[in-house]
Amino acid sequence: MGAKYRSVFDIIGPIMIGPSSSHTAGAVAIGRVAHKLFGEPMTKVTVHYYESFAKTHRGHGTDYAIAAGILGMAPDDQRVPQAPQIARRNGIDLRYVEEEEPSPIHHPNTAVLCISNKHKKILVAGCSIGGGAIEIRKLVVEGVKIFPAGPLPIVLYVDHGKKHPNAVELTAEVEKLAPFYRKQSMRGEECDIYEYDIKHYMNKKTIDKLEADFDNLICL
Amino acid sequence: MNMYDSIQAIVDDANEKNKPISELIIEQECQLSGADRETVWNKMAKNLEIMRAAVKRGQEGNGVYSATGLTGGEAVKIKKYREKHQTLSGDTMMSAVQNAVATNEVNAAMGVVCATPTAGSSGTLPGVLFMLEKRLNLKEEQMIRFLFTAGGLGMVIANHSGIAGATGGCQAEVGSAAAMGAAAAVEIAGGTPEQSSQALAMAISNLLGLVCDPIAGLVEIPCVKRNAIGAGNALIAADMALAGCISKIPADECISAMNKVGRGLPASLRETGIGGLAGTPTGQAIRARIFGNNV
Repeated sequence: MGAKYRSVFDIIGPIMIGPSSSHTAGAVAIGRVAHKLFGEPMTKVTVHYYESFAKTHRGHGTDYAIAAGILGMAPDDQRVPQAPQIARRNGIDLRYVEEEEPSPIHHPNTAVLCISNKHKKILVAGCSIGGGAIEIRKLVVEGVKIFPAGPLPIVLYVDHGKKHPNAVELTAEVEKLAPFYRKQSMRGEECDIYEYDIKHYMNKKTIDKLEADFDNLICL
Repeated sequence: MNMYDSIQAIVDDANEKNKPISELIIEQECQLSGADRETVWNKMAKNLEIMRAAVKRGQEGNGVYSATGLTGGEAVKIKKYREKHQTLSGDTMMSAVQNAVATNEVNAAMGVVCATPTAGSSGTLPGVLFMLEKRLNLKEEQMIRFLFTAGGLGMVIANHSGIAGATGGCQAEVGSAAAMGAAAAVEIAGGTPEQSSQALAMAISNLLGLVCDPIAGLVEIPCVKRNAIGAGNALIAADMALAGCISKIPADECISAMNKVGRGLPASLRETGIGGLAGTPTGQAIRARIFGNNV
């Protein structure tokens, strides 16, 4: 297992717009994962809140934080508080739902994001574990359910047409550039999906190289 | 490269290598991230700059006020009081409180802060640090080292207990921040790594069980003032450790106790805005005034 906090800057940082690191900065981070994973303009975003998020999202600015994240903003972007209006101006049907039942991913700070446009749909279930750090505990991509260990970084590879059985080459490269502690493979109807839970934070160079070397690979 | 997994391991390594904790944490960060020392150092320097700006902003002019009007302006009140009165707890203590309150007032007003370890507890460390800057005539280099020590020990707390009010209560936020600040203050004042560990243990013990009960779910009441006690607690624990006082319970066991206490807290006292001060008639009335009754 990887530790949840792996950098001194998880503790001293992030630099952010207040008021809450878990409900604001962490919520931005969950939104940013969804933004990167979706990778194209979205038309509908529904945010389902659970437990502490459901009770306090308004007071903590979680709504604007998630919206900022799905637009790809950083937690210290001055536009963060205006993000929902910006999202709606960009034609995104943005909705927030307070769920009564316990979190499906077993954490009090849970947001489940359902994002779609005409031809694509994903689900991202994330939780904000404190100090701005997050875990992604469930994803649905191309109809395939994925359950990562939680802590970032996560490397995700969608093999359309199942052309790379077991992703042998990719696994070797991930192991070399960014050692992982767990690998999962999921078989979908039209694609195979591989998910790697990475031990340490990845630098930009490593991310760029992996994403350049493999189509449909995403470092979250 | 393995991360330090306990406070004891950090103290042992510091003693063995005859290095301050801050140095070990800088080395750990370079190895974990693959970044060079200068990059890591400069990133922390940037955090320090943001912290300084928030402290300054919170106590200038009439101060800052949150959108709800529930908090704001009290750092300035403390500043004026210090100018005109002989404070009861001493001017340095009240200057730490002033810095802490100033930072959290900026946070409540959706200003820019550096989370240390969280935004709700972002006033505690600057409260201590910028007071010590004047009291001990600290140079920037020492202040950056303070943050590495605080952050490195905070990582152990975060990984073994947690730093979210929603899972562990306020003890996990302001309690952790106070513990980090206490240990870092000891190092900067010339204490030993063992004394840092003692300060951390005492600071956690002193706030064990503190609940997270924000009124209307806002990071305002009681969060802003809780950082005053966080800063005060950090300084008291640091002074006690420097005096040679010993926590009979080792630091790592205090962290583990905090984790268990947090898990034992009911949800109403873990950042749901239901119990504690949030559940008082006045707390409920404020909530109704801000969000209406349908919550």
